[in-house]
Amino acid sequence: MATTPPLVVRASPLRRLQKELFGSRLDGLISIALLAALLAAGLGFFRWALFQAQWAVLSANSTLFAVGRYPVEQQWRLWLLTTLLALATGFSWGLLRAFPGSGAVRALWPRNDRWAAAILAVLALWRPMALQLTLAIQVRWWGIAGLLLLARWAAGRYGPAIPQACRRLIPLLWPLLYLVGMVLISGGLGLVQVPPSEWGGLLLTVLMATFAILLCFPLGVLLALGRRSELPLLRWGSVIYIEFIRGAPLITLLFLGQNILGFLLPGGLAPDRVWRAAWVLTFFAAAYVAEAVRSGLVAVPAGQLEAARSLGLPVPLALVHVVLPQALRVALPATVGQFITLLQDTTLLSLIGLLDLLGTARTVMANPMFLGKNAEVYLVLAILFWSCCAALGLGSRALETRLNPHSPSAPQA
Amino acid sequence: MTSSPALMIEARGVEKWYPNGFHALRGVDLCVHQGEVVVIMGPSGSGKSTFLRTFNAMEDFQKGSIVVDGIEISDDLRRIDAIRREVGMVFQQFNLFPHLTVLDNLTLAPVKVRKRPKAEVERQALELLERVGIAEQAHKFPGQLSGGQQQRVAIARSLCMEPRIMLFDEPTSALDPEMVQEVLAVMQELARDGMTMVVVSHEVRFARKVASRVVLMADGEVVEVAPPQQFFTNPRHERSKQFLSQIS
Repeated sequence: MATTPPLVVRASPLRRLQKELFGSRLDGLISIALLAALLAAGLGFFRWALFQAQWAVLSANSTLFAVGRYPVEQQWRLWLLTTLLALATGFSWGLLRAFPGSGAVRALWPRNDRWAAAILAVLALWRPMALQLTLAIQVRWWGIAGLLLLARWAAGRYGPAIPQACRRLIPLLWPLLYLVGMVLISGGLGLVQVPPSEWGGLLLTVLMATFAILLCFPLGVLLALGRRSELPLLRWGSVIYIEFIRGAPLITLLFLGQNILGFLLPGGLAPDRVWRAAWVLTFFAAAYVAEAVRSGLVAVPAGQLEAARSLGLPVPLALVHVVLPQALRVALPATVGQFITLLQDTTLLSLIGLLDLLGTARTVMANPMFLGKNAEVYLVLAILFWSCCAALGLGSRALETRLNPHSPSAPQA
Repeated sequence: MTSSPALMIEARGVEKWYPNGFHALRGVDLCVHQGEVVVIMGPSGSGKSTFLRTFNAMEDFQKGSIVVDGIEISDDLRRIDAIRREVGMVFQQFNLFPHLTVLDNLTLAPVKVRKRPKAEVERQALELLERVGIAEQAHKFPGQLSGGQQQRVAIARSLCMEPRIMLFDEPTSALDPEMVQEVLAVMQELARDGMTMVVVSHEVRFARKVASRVVLMADGEVVEVAPPQQFFTNPRHERSKQFLSQIS
């Protein structure tokens, strides 16, 4: 017992892996069997992806997957919107780095950001080529990615030079952009109308998801507050609404929305089928968001509202400045989980005949030219959905870190 | 100082039943004049905290009347908000807002309720933090402070609304023993500056030194009201003697 290493010394990762996987003979056997199975599956997948799969189904239909039957001569509006979105994203991203949360270290290009920029650049270079898009379109994607990174750099570098008064208006950029986007997509204000029935693919999916997410959140907060209200009418109204919605499957509500809303509302007022579905999604998700927010409200000690009230803050102000900021922070993971579910629920739109991503995929696979290419299509669809959900999850975790008051700089202890 | 000081709190025959039927206050009377420090003592469950919390309408009551700074407490929410602006309250559990910095804890209510300019309130807040001895912590979050520091921030937060009356609900009961003194010192200084205070507390030394009068409550009633000297050395009532023998 001459040299027992102190407990704090940690073995190298390789050593630890060795110890965990090959600790005993039985462990070793199990590990080898599992690794062999993994290897075989991986090899099989790559052989399929590289030699058997025919990706022509995607490159031939890339426009259909992206925007559905959106008229070709109007597609410049979507390009413009994509460019604006890229600029706004880069701008906000840079500003977030220029003004880190209180206490956090300011760095223009933290390591994660360098990775994100690199991945973005690779995607922008490789994806259009892989899809065999025309050179003109490839160049557009490169330009958009370049603009995003440029805006990111400029905002990070010169963001602090923006005067305080203007800076407070910057968060308004996104709702404004949403309205501009709506006009660009649907037309009006001098632009040719493109009816919702011609939207499709990723455009429709993203539009439905963002619309429902943006509206279900405030609605959910109001419902959660209503459920905890002391006014019986408000409380029971909220309870009945939440429990009714949670008791019905989304697909029934979607069919109900398609069939009944037309009868309920006077002629002409009933919104288009796409918008009906969007509202059903919104009202559906709001009930679940309300329950997530309520869990956050329960977590805030009663003393917080008491203290705020004792300082003379009227209830609405106390809720906005004291209770909700704390409750929403607690409810954030559950709420974002709800948003992710919502994004995936948009695939149900294909069942009521809307051409969202999944709906588009079904029509493409029904095309005799591409029969039997289901694996390729579904794989790409899965990756697309996974990327969107991963982005939401990453964003929520970044937000959680930023909102954590006790260790503003530390990511998570 | 020829005329007698103004009446700040006048409670007459206050009775309260909890929803479960418990008779918490059984006709309690109390008058507090400007500049007085009234310390309310009593065994737990005697209704002293409940009574204190009726002064800023944190607890409702069914019978009797309470007039605070000339405003009678009623169900009228605007009237209640008006009273709460003039009455500061310090809680056993501090109840600081954990998502705001110390400075923002102080400035929130004056800026949002009194609509005063932020820069001016911040200057005043820093002065107050200086007064309670924690100016250097202004930009930290409450969770980073010790219990005693948090309670001093809570006092400063109430003072930032420039209240005319301060209520303390067992302000030192949740503190580690070595932090009790720093909070009591702040309260003592506040009393010396002439603040009208009602304090629910078990701190005998504080009561002896600072209180104008000591009130003993038991079973929802006021048993005895006396100057501290008399109360601690020569209590008149049997219940007071019993209580004093229990806490000393």
